[in-house]
Amino acid sequence: MAQKYDLFFRQAASGRFVPLIIGAMVYLAALALAGSMAIGQVIETWSEDLRGTLTVQIPAGDPAAGGASAQINSALSILLETPGVDWAEPVPVDDINSLLRPWFGEAGVPDDLPLPALIEVQLLPGAELDAAKLGQHLDQAVPDAILFDNGAWLQHLVRFARSVQWVAGIVVALVGGTAIAIIVFATRAGLSVHRRTIELLHTIGAKDGYIARQFQYHSLRLGFAGGILGLAIATVTLIVLAILAEQAGAGMLPKMSLTWEHLIVLGILPVASALIATLTARAIVMRALREMP
Amino acid sequence: MGKDLISGLGDGARSNRRAAKVAESQYRMVRFENVGMRYGVGPEVLSDIDFSLKPGSFHFLTGPSGAGKTSLLRLMYLAHRPSRGRIGMFGRNITKLKRRALPALRRRIGVVFQDFRLLDHLTALENVALPLRIAGARKDEIEKHVSELLDWVGLEKQIHARPPTLSDGEKQRVAIARAVIGRPSLLLADEPTGNIDPDQGLRILRLFDELNKIGTTVLIATHDRGLVSRFGRPELHLEEGALTFRPGLVADVPNETAKGAPTTPEPAATPKASTAKTA
Ligand SMILES: Nc1ncnc2c1ncn2[C@@H]1O[C@H](COP(=O)(O)OP(=O)(O)O)[C@@H](O)[C@H]1O
Ligand SMILES: [Mg+2]
Repeated sequence: MAQKYDLFFRQAASGRFVPLIIGAMVYLAALALAGSMAIGQVIETWSEDLRGTLTVQIPAGDPAAGGASAQINSALSILLETPGVDWAEPVPVDDINSLLRPWFGEAGVPDDLPLPALIEVQLLPGAELDAAKLGQHLDQAVPDAILFDNGAWLQHLVRFARSVQWVAGIVVALVGGTAIAIIVFATRAGLSVHRRTIELLHTIGAKDGYIARQFQYHSLRLGFAGGILGLAIATVTLIVLAILAEQAGAGMLPKMSLTWEHLIVLGILPVASALIATLTARAIVMRALREMP
Repeated sequence: MGKDLISGLGDGARSNRRAAKVAESQYRMVRFENVGMRYGVGPEVLSDIDFSLKPGSFHFLTGPSGAGKTSLLRLMYLAHRPSRGRIGMFGRNITKLKRRALPALRRRIGVVFQDFRLLDHLTALENVALPLRIAGARKDEIEKHVSELLDWVGLEKQIHARPPTLSDGEKQRVAIARAVIGRPSLLLADEPTGNIDPDQGLRILRLFDELNKIGTTVLIATHDRGLVSRFGRPELHLEEGALTFRPGLVADVPNETAKGAPTTPEPAATPKASTAKTA
């Protein structure tokens, strides 16, 4: 005996066409989601590193006069007296050099390049600090000292990253809407092609749900096939992008990576597209059948 | 008493005979009262249709092409709602029924179309099994019933054939098997012999005759005068929107002949007149 869902679609024209479009939609959604999640990951890493930190930059001193050590010391004492500061330490010269290495290549940073000194400041957890006032204070004691409020800078960065994520969300929503529209059109076409068979099924006593299930199951398979196709191509794309990013130099690009949770979210895409396809087809068919006698 | 009739009819063709006696005058298999029908916002294609069919009766529905035979049948197999009037079927007023209630009622009506309407990618067996499958019957039950019926229509060798490989006469016999697999108490056929050669047509009408003899109410739309005169059954004649009753040429009492020879192909019909009355 035949399968349960074989009344209309054993050789349907929509069998190849719809999965291709759904595949393209899932591909776009997967890339937008992956981008959004990678950005989220970067924000999180940076937030952890930079939350509650300040950086003070002291101009390079005249080497003949012993460099900038006097300025560094007076800046340090001001910082350590400031309420809310947990600790403050000069950044070792080697660390500064390694930060700059990508710009100078293997030859390294020239010895005679006057480099500013950096002081890293960590605030006590939850401490509120008036960065502008501290900056003035420092400037009076150490002329040309610059205070970077990493928290404020981070806030701008987070705001930018969040708007990128919003855009990605809009892309996913548009892609989802387009996929639904495609399913709607394909289902309506199927309804009109199979009008007479539907009438026959009604005549021999089929309930609307039975007829709808035939369409639903077909749509489920198209949605799932499209989802798998789109996800497969998206996976290849992401792997290629990851390799290219690696080769471009890890130091210059913020480290982007996807966690297991992110991969699971991407893996859900074919299931989601199958589910959306199923529910959309059911809604369309049930509504159309209700109009029939 | 009305309840008894309805459940009795539901039990299938055999009990129809019993029901037929109970129902004699008060209850009807089909009863149209001042029925009008239109397609969309078009003009009425049927107006003031009044008639009734007794359980166990056999009628031809005749009339020129475009007279509204198909439309009248569509009303009866619940594919179309009347635009006015009242239609009773199996003692129930179907004009007031909710959509939800229709499938159960449709399962008591078998329909045969001029163009067969078989699903080409299903085998003969699967096509005939469809109504049982839809009703959720068990697989072994389905197989047994279906092969019995295919035997009856003479297609025991083509059980696994697909419609495109069958002749038109064979296709129509598959369609008839499908129409009666659910043991309907009312069998409607719309030009069932219109697409097939006369010999096969005769064979098909004999199948309808056999069904009628076990109690199934039969109504066959046709414009084949030869067939009508040959079988000598009463006619409902549609012309210019009016329905007239024409008694069959051969007088008969179907319920009594049925007892004697259930499989005789010989026509022997016509109820005690006035089964249908004119509008
Ligand atoms: N789907 C339809 N839409 C509009 N008019 C129709 C439709 N089907 C039939 N008609 C009209 O209804 C009338 C009766 O048609 P029909 O019931 O098919 O007659 P018959 O079966 O006796 O040839 C005709 O005038 C026909 O044009
Ligand atoms: Mg017709």
